[in-house]
Amino acid sequence: MAVAETHIDGEMAPGHGRSGLLPGGIAGPALGLLVPVLAAVGWELAVRLGWSSGRLVPPPSVVWETFLRLAEGGELGRHAAATLSRVAVGFGAGVAAGTFVGAVTGYSTFFSRLLDPTLQALRAIPSIAWVPLFILWFGIFEASKVTLIAVGVFFPVYLGVMGAVASVDRKIVEVGRAFRLSGPQMVRRILLPAVLPSYVIALRSGLGLGWMFVVAAEFMGASQGLGYLLIDGQQLGKPAQIVAAIVAFAILGKITDWLIVAATGPFLRWEDRFARHEAA
Amino acid sequence: MLVLDRVGKTYHNGVRALEGVSLSVAHGDIVAVVGGSGCGKSTMLRAIAGLDAPSRGRVVLDGAAIAAPHEKIGIIFQEPRLLPWLTVAGNVAFGIGHLPRSERDGRVARALARVGLADKAQAWPRELSGGQAQRVAIARALVPQPEVLLLDEPFSALDAFTRADLQDHLLALWADTRPTLVLVTHDVDEAVALADRVLVMQPRPGRVFEEIATGLARPRDRRASAFDAARGRVLDALDRSLERAPATAIA
Repeated sequence: MAVAETHIDGEMAPGHGRSGLLPGGIAGPALGLLVPVLAAVGWELAVRLGWSSGRLVPPPSVVWETFLRLAEGGELGRHAAATLSRVAVGFGAGVAAGTFVGAVTGYSTFFSRLLDPTLQALRAIPSIAWVPLFILWFGIFEASKVTLIAVGVFFPVYLGVMGAVASVDRKIVEVGRAFRLSGPQMVRRILLPAVLPSYVIALRSGLGLGWMFVVAAEFMGASQGLGYLLIDGQQLGKPAQIVAAIVAFAILGKITDWLIVAATGPFLRWEDRFARHEAA
Repeated sequence: MLVLDRVGKTYHNGVRALEGVSLSVAHGDIVAVVGGSGCGKSTMLRAIAGLDAPSRGRVVLDGAAIAAPHEKIGIIFQEPRLLPWLTVAGNVAFGIGHLPRSERDGRVARALARVGLADKAQAWPRELSGGQAQRVAIARALVPQPEVLLLDEPFSALDAFTRADLQDHLLALWADTRPTLVLVTHDVDEAVALADRVLVMQPRPGRVFEEIATGLARPRDRRASAFDAARGRVLDALDRSLERAPATAIA
């Protein structure tokens, strides 16, 4: 905590001048930390000073202790690994299916007319509603959980890819034709780079939904996973464990999202948006 | 020799965009195509490019029928149509990916130097002005060393000053290897400034109305009386093609 505060003090000082508050200035990112850090410090003080028991809303120090205890015992790692592997498999399957079907329907009007109405109808169903059916079909173990995650990931990826492929600039495709690109060359040199920006957005929203659905999947009965830690914390009245698991979700979610951005960033330097993002 | 043999094009909706257009262009000639809207001048260019096959007749280059885009035929569109994810150098190299790297890099560097953009090789297309982007498009089309270069209103989106500048620039580039140029334009000045022959087309269905040899030596002085006379002849033919009184009579 002390480190964080010096951090802010050190960076806020030049912020008094106009230039320090510009997006490119160092005060930019530090400013965003101000509210959560103040809230954490405030709550910690409130509990320490006896204004609140902190029983249902544990103060940061207790959450941190619980987090460390779970991590040191290897429990946290085991649960996080279980959750991560479910997300990985479900996300992989959802992305593969969404990309394939999206590419086919985006490219071909026939397949779009054939498949899109059905898929849009299915999309209107809240994915959680499938849970009972998936349990009947695939049992209560991994298959039903991974399927639920895959379904959640599928739709944003499908929509993103279909839209991106369908809206590739015809004039740019014509440049490819004029330079006599073959079918595979056209895909590699024109279509893939053209759809990549939308694809990254689709992957990121798919991943977000994947993390959302892994919690739902683990709520429906799991003996390990971060979702299990949540339920366990609720049933045994351990709010610090719940918050620690939530923190773990936040960290993993942010890291995996960042991995997508970092892996695709080099291919998107040409985009205005990403250039600005880098500069900020 | 580029030959159009009674080329006609009817679109799926029944519109006859082009009817019985015959033309032969000797290697190294510059032909401008002008005409009112809907006269089929772009359709004709796309048929030569092999992008839209004609419904009737055929396009022949040096004895070979053109039915699809051909390596000896390059095209420059109204918009630069640069690929935004490639650098300027990457865009210029787009059509010569099959060449060995050293050869490719050399050609790209020479082409960029030739259009005055050597310092922009690593820039992204979005960082260029409209005129610079179109110069990159010209370099991209010329780098594979086409025998025929087609231009579809290539300068119409540019301001008058940049346009005149690029017209001179195009002529300088043309003088390097002397490809055949077929230029579609709606700018009579541009047609007279660049072309040996001006083809005036007439709409519904699109067909050749009149062919005018400009008979001007290069370089051309846009203020010379001979230039004015040639422009007058083209404008006159355009008026007649649209069956309206000459502009001077209205004025």
